[in-house]
Amino acid sequence: MKKWIAGAALALTAMTGPALADGHDSYPERPIMLMVSYGAGGATDFQARIVTMTAGNEDALGMPIAIVNRPGAGGRVGWNWFATEAEGDGYTLGAYNIPHFIAQSIEGGVSYSSDSFEPIANWGADPAVFVVAADSDFNSMADVVSYAKENPGGLTFSGAGLFVGHHIAALQLEKAAGVKMAYIPNNSGGAGAMRAVIAGEVLGGVNNLSDAFRAQAAGNVKILGVFDLERNAEFLPDVPTMMEQGYDIDNASVNFRGVMVPKGTPQPIIDKLAATVPAMFENGRVQSRMAAGGSPMHIMTRDEVLEMWAARQSTLEELLAGL
Amino acid sequence: MDFLFYMGDVFTPINFGLLLLGTIGGLILGATPGLSPTMAVALLIPFTFQLEPQQGLILLGAAYTSTVAGGAVSAILLKIPGAPANIATTLDGHTMATKGEGAKALQLSFIASAIGGLFGVFLLIFLTPVLAQWALAFGPSHLFWLAILGVTVIGTLDSSSVVKGLLSGCIGLWLATIGFDDIMGAQRFIFHPAVSGGINVIPALIGLFAIPQVITMFTKGRSSDDAEIINVKKHPIRFAFAEVFKRKMALTIGTITGSIIGLIPGVGGQIAGLVAYDQSKKFSKESEKFGTGHSEGVIAAESANNAMVGPSLVPLLTLSIPGSPTAAVLLGGLLIHGIFPGPDLFMNYPQVAWTFIDSMLIGQLLMCIFGLYIAGLAASVARVPHAVMAAIVLGLAVFGSYSVQNSMGDVYVMATLGLAMYFLERFGFSAAPLVLGLILGPIAEANFIQGSMIANATVGTGTYFFTGWLNWLLILIVLASISYSVWMEIMARRYTTKDDAVAKEEALP
Amino acid sequence: MTDLPRNQHIIASGLIACVGVSIAYISFTQEPADAFIFPRLISSVFAVLAIWTFVKAVLGRTKVGNGINGQAMRNMLPGLIVTIIYVYWAAKSLGFYTATTIAFFVLLSLYDPAPHSDIKSWGKRILITAGFMAVMYGLFAQLLNVFTPREIFF
Repeated sequence: MKKWIAGAALALTAMTGPALADGHDSYPERPIMLMVSYGAGGATDFQARIVTMTAGNEDALGMPIAIVNRPGAGGRVGWNWFATEAEGDGYTLGAYNIPHFIAQSIEGGVSYSSDSFEPIANWGADPAVFVVAADSDFNSMADVVSYAKENPGGLTFSGAGLFVGHHIAALQLEKAAGVKMAYIPNNSGGAGAMRAVIAGEVLGGVNNLSDAFRAQAAGNVKILGVFDLERNAEFLPDVPTMMEQGYDIDNASVNFRGVMVPKGTPQPIIDKLAATVPAMFENGRVQSRMAAGGSPMHIMTRDEVLEMWAARQSTLEELLAGL
Repeated sequence: MDFLFYMGDVFTPINFGLLLLGTIGGLILGATPGLSPTMAVALLIPFTFQLEPQQGLILLGAAYTSTVAGGAVSAILLKIPGAPANIATTLDGHTMATKGEGAKALQLSFIASAIGGLFGVFLLIFLTPVLAQWALAFGPSHLFWLAILGVTVIGTLDSSSVVKGLLSGCIGLWLATIGFDDIMGAQRFIFHPAVSGGINVIPALIGLFAIPQVITMFTKGRSSDDAEIINVKKHPIRFAFAEVFKRKMALTIGTITGSIIGLIPGVGGQIAGLVAYDQSKKFSKESEKFGTGHSEGVIAAESANNAMVGPSLVPLLTLSIPGSPTAAVLLGGLLIHGIFPGPDLFMNYPQVAWTFIDSMLIGQLLMCIFGLYIAGLAASVARVPHAVMAAIVLGLAVFGSYSVQNSMGDVYVMATLGLAMYFLERFGFSAAPLVLGLILGPIAEANFIQGSMIANATVGTGTYFFTGWLNWLLILIVLASISYSVWMEIMARRYTTKDDAVAKEEALP
Repeated sequence: MTDLPRNQHIIASGLIACVGVSIAYISFTQEPADAFIFPRLISSVFAVLAIWTFVKAVLGRTKVGNGINGQAMRNMLPGLIVTIIYVYWAAKSLGFYTATTIAFFVLLSLYDPAPHSDIKSWGKRILITAGFMAVMYGLFAQLLNVFTPREIFF
């Protein structure tokens, strides 16, 4: 009898011991939720579903990640919820989009800033590009800028919303070329903005490289320039950067996507996620699916992301101060 | 006739098995409150990672088809429209179910869905290039006028008083402005943290329709009134077919309205059912019967919301632009296999593209067969005692609205709107126009702002919104719709007395 | 029609008119003005229609709506209280499944016409509750992976 009790006690200590020690060794014990602040089917949602598909594997987190969409107002709805209401228990992750949320927090009217979140890892970087309809008279950025000079404020071009990557790219273009243009934010995101270009509602548009690449392949648009430091060798080797065309524009508008947790999540959990998640993104199946979908990957660890956030914060403060 | 050539691929054992799975799974997911077709299809995406592209798309196509129709089940039996597409179905369908004609309502809805759905897919097969141009023709000014057209429908939708109908619509339009505005990102009317993200349409729908019904059941108390026991009528399927074909007008209006509206990016799916319902009410010889459990209401609404399935994929398959949220999710399903939709899709991947379309054709038929089968079983739901029913509907409403985005705030919004709606209904307001306002508000606003931004940069607001044949056509229809409502109100004043209006309401449960 | 519904109509439409006027006031005073163009338009129409309805109610010209009678009010009150406690407090604090089980069972016991003295009827209520909860758990927790708030008991 004594043996039994001793055995049971031992088993009990074995089970609860480590948990008592710091409470996070067995993390994760149940499925994890990943909040995406854009609608189902958008580029962020689509990529989030692919990069998390191997989360349930033993060498990753060992528990599946389920996507929950909280779309609205260019991501503000989701991030506001994430900063104010999400539990910092490690079971609530969020997807971030840089420069979107930093630009929105600088512009004001939201309850988050880059201090409200703790990055885990970055999975992708999608530069913005300038597109015009396939039958447009514009064949280079010089054509676009000279039209804008002749018609100040009359060149309409679409983008996914205000204070998102596309808008930052638009502001940079106006500043670098010294022209005034009419940026038309679309309420149905990048897809809606692309539709406006193809249908001829606007003369041009800023859009995601991945979507523009597809639209160009379908013969609907021409891509005139990339808002990045280098050309995109994988998808668009022939399209020059803005810098090459004589406009001093850096990579501030490149849309970085990754995973974060709310401030207040225990450090051991952050460390565990920061160690496992980048490896999860490097999984061969994830890589091949992302490549098939035309989504450029760019894996960064937590430390690299922290650095990138800080750098963006200062660039964007400078850029938006001029408004 | 390429689609016939690839028809055989649908019937290989694995593909057909997936088609069955998608259809049955779709019906179940569609009937679950809170799960809109978009969410249901998004949930299935991870399963397609493991499959061949062709198989994955068969699963998604079948699921899309049947979730849209499955939504009719909870709309008819429980008065919980699972998605905006099924709002119009509750108006007559649920009334039929409470009269013991649930089997008939379900049969009509599935047959009408299949007919509308087949028509829509055939449009997709034969007229895609023509339709693609049409889908691009709608710019911000046209979408704005279209939303205004929807608003004019509000007054006559489901209320015995035009003024109260319009007022309900205004409440809905106002509710839609709560939260961040979509373009500027400014916060508006946020008086409680639960609405800081705005009012999500699906929890609002569930609350506005389901909760008043729960409270109405409470008001009956503990009575075991024998008169309450409903005689559930059996309804042979061939009668249902006969009924559908007798109501040619409703079927035609529903199918055509659904196909046309389904094509318009961003608007289609949500309002196709309501617009078709309203149109067939206006054209029907028995328009006064609408809302009292009239079969034309169910037929028009359901044929419209399945007819929009095929055309809603036109912009995606030809231009690579998803025209609706569900199409966007399907785009993801294609992209993970490295297939880029576009004009070359049918040349480069004929086997995938045509099998996908064929699976939607066969899916419509399978959905109809399974639907007719469950119609017989499900109709006895009306026999469930009201105490049990009230508790079930309440539980489903809470779980359903929570599951949309795992948010407690949505549950509070659902319950608050529902409780308020009960009292509003007692004073002659109704839920359908309110919901229509909630859906149309953001469409009208965003397109108005976008349109004026473009107009200010180019031709000026007046020219932009008031010239061009499509603007004129839409303005003309708006004016016609308003004059019709005014005419009806005057006629009603002449003939209906207060007692008639009261009597009509008493007839409703 | 008796006087009761007329008074009720006056109160109800009066409340709506108050809401209409106050949102109109908010829309015309809030900044930034650009974001409130549309709310201004809607709330103006809202306020006008609401006042019209109110005036009609005061004049006793309201045509539709039966108001609420005392018996219905008495019948619905217990259910309403259970609903409010369940939705606004219990679901979050006790966990979805615990709260739903309790609310479901209480509602059945309150509104089921079978006599409370009958032991068999209690068995039936427990059975129905258990069946419903099993379906909900299977559908939402197992099939759809919905993350409900933490339960207090498990």
